[in-house]
Amino acid sequence: MTLALVLTLLSPVIGGFVYGFERILRARMQGRVGPPLLQPFYDFFKLLEKRSLIVHSFHAFMGIMYLLGTWFSLYVLLSGGDILVAIFFHLLSLAFLVVGGFSVRSPYSIIGSMRELLHMVAYEPVFVLAAAGLYLVTGTFQVSEILHSDQLPILYVPLVFLSLLLTLPSVLKKSPFDLSEAHQEIIGGPEIEYSGKYYEAVYTAKWIEYVYAFFFVFLFAGGKWWLGALLVLFSFFLVNLIDNVTARFNFRQMVAFHWYILIPLTVINLMLLALWRN
Amino acid sequence: MEKVAGALVLVPWLLALLVFISPWHRVRQFFTFLSLPILTFLTYKVSVGNLPLLVETPNWLNGLVTLYDFLLLFYFLYQGLKFKDFLVSVLSLFQLFLLVWVLKVLPHKEGAELLVDRLTVFMYWIVATVGTLIAIYATKYMEQEDLSRENRFVSVLLWFLGVMNFAVSVNNLEWFFALFETTTLASYVLIRFRWDEISVKNALRALWMNQIGGVAILLAILFAVKYYGVYRFTEILSMKGHLASMVPLSFLAISALVKGAQLPFHRWLLGAMVAPTPVSAILHSATMVKIAPYLILRLSPVIKGTLLAKLLIITTGFVFVSAGLLALTQSNFKKILAYSTISLLGLMMLTGSMGSPTAVLASLLLILFHAVVKALLFMEAGVMEKLFKAKYIEDIKRLVERAPVTVLFISIGFMSMTIVPYGIFVAKWLTIEEASNFLSHGAYISSIIFVAIGGVILSLLYFKVIGVMTRKREEFVRFRLERLPFVYLFSTVPLVLFTVFGSLFIARLSAELINPVVAQVVDSPAPVKAAGLTLVTGVSALYGWQIIGAFLLLLIVPIFAYFVHFSGTDRVFPYTCGERVDLTLGTYNFFCVSSIEPFVETASVALFILTLVLGGGLV
Repeated sequence: MTLALVLTLLSPVIGGFVYGFERILRARMQGRVGPPLLQPFYDFFKLLEKRSLIVHSFHAFMGIMYLLGTWFSLYVLLSGGDILVAIFFHLLSLAFLVVGGFSVRSPYSIIGSMRELLHMVAYEPVFVLAAAGLYLVTGTFQVSEILHSDQLPILYVPLVFLSLLLTLPSVLKKSPFDLSEAHQEIIGGPEIEYSGKYYEAVYTAKWIEYVYAFFFVFLFAGGKWWLGALLVLFSFFLVNLIDNVTARFNFRQMVAFHWYILIPLTVINLMLLALWRN
Repeated sequence: MEKVAGALVLVPWLLALLVFISPWHRVRQFFTFLSLPILTFLTYKVSVGNLPLLVETPNWLNGLVTLYDFLLLFYFLYQGLKFKDFLVSVLSLFQLFLLVWVLKVLPHKEGAELLVDRLTVFMYWIVATVGTLIAIYATKYMEQEDLSRENRFVSVLLWFLGVMNFAVSVNNLEWFFALFETTTLASYVLIRFRWDEISVKNALRALWMNQIGGVAILLAILFAVKYYGVYRFTEILSMKGHLASMVPLSFLAISALVKGAQLPFHRWLLGAMVAPTPVSAILHSATMVKIAPYLILRLSPVIKGTLLAKLLIITTGFVFVSAGLLALTQSNFKKILAYSTISLLGLMMLTGSMGSPTAVLASLLLILFHAVVKALLFMEAGVMEKLFKAKYIEDIKRLVERAPVTVLFISIGFMSMTIVPYGIFVAKWLTIEEASNFLSHGAYISSIIFVAIGGVILSLLYFKVIGVMTRKREEFVRFRLERLPFVYLFSTVPLVLFTVFGSLFIARLSAELINPVVAQVVDSPAPVKAAGLTLVTGVSALYGWQIIGAFLLLLIVPIFAYFVHFSGTDRVFPYTCGERVDLTLGTYNFFCVSSIEPFVETASVALFILTLVLGGGLV
């Protein structure tokens, strides 16, 4: 419990380091040197000094709510409670970002928020099915019990793990599923109207989402935490590799990929496992 | 006890009569207000009594019901001939023929014709609170629309409540047919209330579609008498485990699907929106469509685990997803609500047909919260229509600047259907966890997929609407809450409060109030316990601090949104890349989704036939 609280409180720092490391990794993949590891934190402090420009207070406030919501949903996940509840809490935090994005009359922000919802339409069923897969293997929905389970979920539900890996880009807004940010077309989507310390909040929330998303990967190793760490490293590398080598899909392709490829993959695995168990 | 249950049927009728004959608006309003305390008190009296209660009725009542059946069907036939509607006339003739046949074969056995158990009382509660609030709301609504026809309208609504109370307490299938068709009559009268061309057309459509449900019930009686020699719910339920044939049950299930406006029979419920808004409110929440999940829950112990139940799961799950998808393409606010009702009715019946105690608990939670929330949303739709002249998504743009309270209520209503920690989320959560136990069968796998996908589609839909409403140009220059008539506040605020507090105390609510109902529906209670605010299920728990945390997060939003302004920060216009853009923005219309409509309808027809033919074992 204390560990969960400490981890949650530190999650912006962890997420910041992950983000800094990611920028280096991506740069190396592209043959560049890249920024220093602490660059996200330098950005963080620089943003604090900048003058904030806001459209209206409600919008700026929703940026802060997004940070609080994400932070709370991460605690729900780490505190060892029900994994499905944690998944649905993520939707709650997303709601703040989306409603905030919708609340200004900016075309980019509105399109971005709509795409943010479409991201959710794509990845959330996969997450729910992954939770069902973990339940089938470990016999519990409680995160704390999954983390102490003797079973090795990845051995029983490899296809579920694969589809979770392939859906990570859409949770983290990475290419090919970076529609909601899409810097070249909608200039960051729902983030566009935030600035100064309000952008700070949204920016930090994104770091927390890193911890949130990769923790799901970690769960697939059950009680073997070293394997979990390896899986996280591997998936981190893979997500960045995919990010570097692919171009953006449109939203229909994204939803179709998730619904028609990843969900069937998951379902086949679950059915085979259930049959084998009987 | 019998007398109290009888009063629950007769008192609304009496009040309806009083409302109908009283010449002054205030008096009518008074009688309508009276229905809330009286019905609540009577329901309370029944619920503390000894249940289940089997009531034997005198023989002449049977004759009266039969006579009433004939009168009703002749009236339908008359309507069909009067408006030259082929389907209505033919279906009434067919029903008359079947009814004569039923009367010919019906064995006369002694037995209770009325059955009042916890499920019935559960429905009484919904009628007594949500239903009467809608009637109260209707008095004000009609005052703004057409005072001269108010008495007619409100008395039909009150009468409808009595009919609904009667319909959920019958045991005899022939009586159930009579009440089923009476609700059809009530909806027919209410939908054509405005008497313009489109109202009559939609009313006739509702009439013939619901008559198909009536035909199905009559066929169910015929087959039940043929195969089992019985025609009462209790007798069918007691044959659990050694049913000779599923045919009667599949016909009953079909009638539930028709009444519940499941695809492809969804058009009658969509057509109901041409009537005054209280009609939609009452059809969608407390009465009419709720007969569908009620009937499935009644039958769930006998159909549990059969092929029929599995096909019902697939059919209703398919409706849950596809009705949500079709709702995305709509731009009329009431149509969006109607599609989402169809969708959630699918989920209620899905959980009902799963039939395990936890699933039944989820189904009851869905029925309760959906009734409350849909009544609230339709009432707010009426408020928007009457006070702010907004019917379409285009009209509700930036509504928050004009009507902050209405927007807040609608947002609470929409959010309560998708996100943590509201009651409908809890039901969805219980469903997914329950379905995870049976993943070796395709039907349960598909149920989990349908619930997951349908849930996110509904979230997409609701946030799309909330996003349009909450859009603002700039800071509130001079913020003031809109002035709503007292009656509107009186009928909506209790529903909002129930949505919030019912969700906050969801653990107590489900473990102590709803679990006894579950115990009587499926003979064993669901394995849920309440520990403070924490809801503990068999495999997991929803902690009290999670519920409170989510509520705190949600509740500070409106406070800050309306009252807190950041000072010392510069205000700018939205960034538009330096271009001069007209900032009247709409939202996605999901035109691409409408192309799947023919496919969806074909698939749903196929599933209907499969449910009937394979589920009933007709082959």
